[in-house]
Amino acid sequence: MFNKQSQGGELNEFETIIGPSVKVKGDFNCQGNIIVEGEVQGNLKTNGNLEVGNKAKITANVEAKEAKIGGEVAGNVKIKGFLDITGTAKIFGDLEAASLSIERGAIFNGKCAMAGGVEETKKPAKDK
Amino acid sequence: MNVFIYDSFLNQKKYDRLLARLETRITDLGLNGKISRLSLIRNVAETVESELKRGAKTIVAVGNNQLVNQIVNSLAGQLVPLGIIPVGQTNNDLANGLGIASAEDACDILSARLLARLDLGLAGQTYFLGQAAIGNQGTVIDMNKDYTIETKNQGMIYVFNLANAAVKLPTKVKLRPDDGLLELVVSAQASGFLKQRLDNSIFKITKITIANPKAQLLLDGSIALDTPAEITVAPKCLNVIVGKNRNF
Repeated sequence: MFNKQSQGGELNEFETIIGPSVKVKGDFNCQGNIIVEGEVQGNLKTNGNLEVGNKAKITANVEAKEAKIGGEVAGNVKIKGFLDITGTAKIFGDLEAASLSIERGAIFNGKCAMAGGVEETKKPAKDK
Repeated sequence: MNVFIYDSFLNQKKYDRLLARLETRITDLGLNGKISRLSLIRNVAETVESELKRGAKTIVAVGNNQLVNQIVNSLAGQLVPLGIIPVGQTNNDLANGLGIASAEDACDILSARLLARLDLGLAGQTYFLGQAAIGNQGTVIDMNKDYTIETKNQGMIYVFNLANAAVKLPTKVKLRPDDGLLELVVSAQASGFLKQRLDNSIFKITKITIANPKAQLLLDGSIALDTPAEITVAPKCLNVIVGKNRNF
């Protein structure tokens, strides 16, 4: 398992664990927290938090409440809250998150949009 | 009235002293009732049915997982609770998971009568309280139309209702037999030099179909079932007397 510490909230209880020897193909939808240490192909969506281990490989669009990514993701990542990208992560796709942390060593190729930033630039324009 | 159903293996002489001790303890606690001894010609389902008609207050399984599973199948959906007195050194995972460590503890637990309304798994037409298990080689799991699960390494596939201490699961996942869900666990040997280690993948499910033409599904470690078998959850289906040290 990669870093245990979570900055995106208390990740004590998980609903789904995709282990290193398992490959999930298709649209995986879930309500609770997920750990991915294996392979996922398709789409991955949860209303809970997501942890992607440093040996995990996700070829999918990802949606979650909060996420910590240490593995490889080929696809767009859309996170409602905090997205923590650790130094071992490789992300090939666009990111969308409310707040973001990218550790040194991470590889990220794509666009990044932060919803909070758009609101802040609009507000001063209204005051004027 | 409490009805104590003794498994047929308890007819062996070596259990006489244990049973005498248990019966004394049960009498001391004021729990005594009717004792029904199973034999090769005495069917569990008929015994339970006739005792329920006579107004049994509690059905107590005195034996191992096999007897508990048979009584669970007769009691499912009833309000009359199941008590368990585990006897024997092995095949008592169900009692252990419910916080009943020994036959002696079981008497005190019956006396305390702490009730829990638990889910049951239903594989085909057979209920299980603990888990269904099958080897993963050649097994096809059909979860739903949305996604499939593949594993290359050798191992086991379990569908848990009640956690089993013999199968080590990550502590981050809590198994509860009263949450209306079952847990599919794909347990496979790790690759490379870590082959001794088992990698567990866990998915919460309500319905699944398991098929393997070369292997049978084993329910509660004792009842073999042919596949393909559809496994579903029967929520809050059985009252069980549980101990304080239960694993949920």
